[in-house]
Amino acid sequence: MKNSKMIIWALGALVVVAIAFLVMRPAGGVKEVDAAELQDLLGQGVRVIDVRTAGEYATSHIPGAENVPINTLESVVESWDRSQPIAVYCAVGDRSASAVEYLTAAGFSTIYHMSEGMVAWTGEVEQGTAVAAAPESVETAGMPVMYEFFTDW
Amino acid sequence: MDRLEDEYKDTVEFRLVNVEKDPSGSALMQQFGAQYVPTFVFVNTDGSTAGQVVGAVEESALRERLDSLE
Repeated sequence: MKNSKMIIWALGALVVVAIAFLVMRPAGGVKEVDAAELQDLLGQGVRVIDVRTAGEYATSHIPGAENVPINTLESVVESWDRSQPIAVYCAVGDRSASAVEYLTAAGFSTIYHMSEGMVAWTGEVEQGTAVAAAPESVETAGMPVMYEFFTDW
Repeated sequence: MDRLEDEYKDTVEFRLVNVEKDPSGSALMQQFGAQYVPTFVFVNTDGSTAGQVVGAVEESALRERLDSLE
């Protein structure tokens, strides 16, 4: 009898916590979107943030997207309106996932995340600066070379 | 990657470029036409580009590329 009372109390407490969570969480939350949905959001005037490096952005980016490299995000969001919806993307979804986590913790109420990244973008692209011609020849030290271009994120 | 680099240390030079910290590296990445990170660019001994691979790839795929370099 005692055990069943305890179980009922525990379930009741769980229900209360769940309701409190649902009531207190910000409206909107985080929504995963695909390329087509992001295209629609752009048409609605939603702010779109590209958290890749300046170099990646310059090579190719979604028209209308603002470049805020992930390592600079914290220093710029202070002045942003947290009630305004915001969309985020990167190359393949890793850096943007970190950005979404940060923005959520910073109090942004509606965040759209194109988690598949720029690789899945099917719309038009813009280039920030002219891309230089590929080097005709790379200087080697008498053996083949493999470059790995990476970021810390 | 460390293991691969060690394995190929006598036959292939590995140049690891952090494009966020190295502005010249970022520019070189653009010159190769690479848009995303990570991107691996393969170069023969004579300096000619032998292709590139984008994204996280299987070690076996990298080995295949490395073994085909001249």
